[in-house]
Amino acid sequence: MKTKVITEQGRDKALATIKKPEVIERQKLNVRYHIEDLDVNDRPRRFLEAFAAILKHSNYRMVLDHFTRVTARCSRCAVACHIYQATGDPKDIPCYRSGLLLDVYRRHFTLGGMIRGRITGGGYITDEKIEEMADSFYNCTACRRCALECPLGLDHGLVTHLGRYILSEIGIVPRALVVSVRAQLEGPYHNTSAVPVPALKDTIEFLEDDMYEEKSVKIKFPADVEGSDYVFFAPVSDYLMEADTLMGIASVFAATGDSWTIGTENFDAINYGLFYNDRIMERVIKRVDSEARRLNGKQVLIGECGHASRTAKNFLPTFCGGSDSLPVLNILEYTHKAWREGKLKLDPDVVTEKVAYHDPCNLARNRWIVDQPREVLKSFCRNYVEMTPKGEDNICCGGGGGAVSIDEIRSYRMTIGGKLKAEQIRKCGCEILVAPCANCKKQLRELVEDQGLNCRVVGFHDLIYKAIDFDGSLKVQHEEDTTLDPGKYNPGRPSDGKGK
Amino acid sequence: MESLLHFARGPLFRLCFMIMLLGLARILFLDLWEAYRAYRKAGDKKMPWRLIVRRGLEWAFPMKRIWRNPQLYSFVSILFHIGLILVPVFLFAHIDLWKSAIGISWPALPFRWALWLTISTIVCAAVLLIERLSVKAIHSLSRGQDYFWLILLLFPFVTGFVCANLKIGAGLYQFLMLVHVLSGDVIFLLIPFTKMAHCVLAPFSQIIDALAWKFPPATDQDILETLNPNH
Ligand code: SF4
Repeated sequence: MKTKVITEQGRDKALATIKKPEVIERQKLNVRYHIEDLDVNDRPRRFLEAFAAILKHSNYRMVLDHFTRVTARCSRCAVACHIYQATGDPKDIPCYRSGLLLDVYRRHFTLGGMIRGRITGGGYITDEKIEEMADSFYNCTACRRCALECPLGLDHGLVTHLGRYILSEIGIVPRALVVSVRAQLEGPYHNTSAVPVPALKDTIEFLEDDMYEEKSVKIKFPADVEGSDYVFFAPVSDYLMEADTLMGIASVFAATGDSWTIGTENFDAINYGLFYNDRIMERVIKRVDSEARRLNGKQVLIGECGHASRTAKNFLPTFCGGSDSLPVLNILEYTHKAWREGKLKLDPDVVTEKVAYHDPCNLARNRWIVDQPREVLKSFCRNYVEMTPKGEDNICCGGGGGAVSIDEIRSYRMTIGGKLKAEQIRKCGCEILVAPCANCKKQLRELVEDQGLNCRVVGFHDLIYKAIDFDGSLKVQHEEDTTLDPGKYNPGRPSDGKGK
Repeated sequence: MESLLHFARGPLFRLCFMIMLLGLARILFLDLWEAYRAYRKAGDKKMPWRLIVRRGLEWAFPMKRIWRNPQLYSFVSILFHIGLILVPVFLFAHIDLWKSAIGISWPALPFRWALWLTISTIVCAAVLLIERLSVKAIHSLSRGQDYFWLILLLFPFVTGFVCANLKIGAGLYQFLMLVHVLSGDVIFLLIPFTKMAHCVLAPFSQIIDALAWKFPPATDQDILETLNPNH
C-alpha cells in the first residue's frame, strides 16, 4: 500500500476538500452519545470491577499478558489503519489505542505494574482515561487490518473488542446498538429491526411474486420447514431493503434444488454482541442455534453479512457444543459451490458494467472468503476490475465494528472512517461495487452519496439474480404446474420431497 | 583493568546469561501455560493451524515486508534484526567465548561479513533512533525503554567494531573492551524484564492471537453473578 501518513496540513486539506460543510474533526467529535448517565466519580472503580470479573471468567488474561510482554511500540501498525491514515492524529495509531487498555491492565492487574505504579505514583485509572478509551475504542472500526502489520502479532481489534466489552459493563455503549439488541433479545419479534412475523411473510410473498414476474419461474421462500438442509438467517435489514439480494439467494436454491428454510421464530442473523459485549453475543448466538435445532436443520446458513457470518462461524462452536455444533456456512460459499458444480447458469451478457468486489473485513481478514465470490463474478461479469489492496489486506469500508448503525456519527464515518475506501473506489473506477455485507452496503451507499462517487453498491446475489438463467424446462414446468418443487429444478436430481 | 575485564567476561557474563535464560524460561513458561489453560477452557478447540503457520513464517522470514510501507523503516528494522541476531552468535571472537562458557562451538561468519553486518547494525540503530526522535507517529508512541534499548545496543557494536578494526592504544583498547563486555552483560540481564522478551515470545504470537478468539463457553451467567452478587 502506498498511502503515507498524512501531515497536519495534509489532513486539514483532506478535511477541507470534503464536500460536506459540517466536517467533524475527531477531537471535536461529540462522543457523549454513547455515555449514559452515570455517577461519573464512581466509574473508575466500576470499570476495574467489570474488568476483573471479565478476566476471571474469560481467556483475556492470556492475551493481555502476552501483549504487554511483547509490545515494542514500533508504529508499523500506523500505516495499516484507515482511521489514522485519515486523521494523522497519533491517538489513532492502533498501538496507542491498545496501549490505553494495556496500561490499565499492567497498572491494576499485574504485580510489576502495581509496584511501579506505587513507586512512581502514576498510571492510575481516572475518569478522563475512561472517556479517552470510550472515544478511542469507538473510533476504531475493529477491522483488524493492523494486526496483519504488527511484527509481534498484536491484534488491536481484539483489544478494542475487549475494551468495548468492559465499557459496556459500566453502561458506556452506543445507544443505537443497545436499542437494536434489546429489540432482538427482549422484544416480541426477536429481531433487531422489530419486524413482525406477518410483515416478514408479506415481504417474502411479495418477493415470490416479483420473481415470478421477472423470471417466469415460481420460486418459493420456504418458512419453518422442518428437516431442511439449511436454516437460513439473513441480516433482518435485508427483508426491508435488499430485495434483490434475497431473490438472488432464493434463485440459487431454486437452481440447486437443496432444501432450505427461514425460521419464523428467529430469522435475524445480526449479532451486535460482537461489537460490544461477549455476553450479549453468547445470548444471540444461542438463539440462532436453538432456532436451527427447533427446525431440525442440518446446517446454519448466514446471508450476506460479514459480522454475522464471522460470529456464527467462530462462536457457534464456542457457545453451542464445540465440535458437535451445527456447521456454519456463508451464502457466498454455498453459491460458489453451486457454481463450481455447474448448477448455476449465469448469462455473461447481462452485467456489462465495470464491476469491483469489496471484501468485508469479517469475511476476508482471516482468508475465509476471498477468492470464492471473485471466481463466480469473473465468470459472468465481463468487465471485472480489482481494487488494491484487497482480500485479507482489504481496507475497511469505515462502518465496521457497529459504527454504521450509529447515525449520529455519519459525518465521522464519511469523512474519516470511509476516506481511504472512497479514494480506493474512485481510483478503481468501478460502476458497480459488490459488497456482500449489510453493514458495508449501508456505509458504502452513504459514502457514494456523500463523496459523490460514480458507482452503485449492490449485494453479490443481486448480480446473480440479474444474470441467472433458468433453463427452459423449468419454465415449461412452471407453466404446467406453478408450484415450485426445488428438487425438480435440476433434471436428473432426485426430488427428496423436502423444502416444499 | 585486566582483572575487571576478566571478571566481566567470565563470572559476570555467566551470571547475566543465566539470569537471562532463567528469566526467559520463566516468561515463556508462563505464556505457554496460560495459552494451554486458555485452550483447555475454550469452547471451540479447532485451531486455524494453516493460517497460524503461514503468518508465523511470513514474519520469521519477512521477504514480503522488506519494502513495505513505510519502506525505509521496514528495510532498516529488518536489517537491524539480522545484525542483532547474527553478529553476537556467529562472530568468531564470540564463538570462543561461547565455547568457554557453555562448551560448544559452531562455524563462524567470515570476517568481511561480520564487519559489514556490524557496520550495518550500527547504521540501522542510528537511523531507527533518528526516526524515533523525528517521525511523529513513532515518536508519539515511544517510551523511555524504546530509546534506551537502541542506545544500549549501540554500545557493544560500536566498541566491538573499534576494537576489532581500528589501530588504537592498548589502554584504550582495554577500556573499550570493558565497555563492550559490560554492555553485553547488561543487555543479557535486562532482556527478560523488558520488551526484549519478544525474542522468545514473538514466535508464539500467532497462536496466542488465534486462541484469543477462542472464548470459554457460557461465561454470561458467571460474569453477571460476579458483578451482581445479589442478582
Ligand atoms: S482494527 Fe482497524 S480501525 Fe481499529 S486500529 Fe486496527 S486498523 Fe485501525
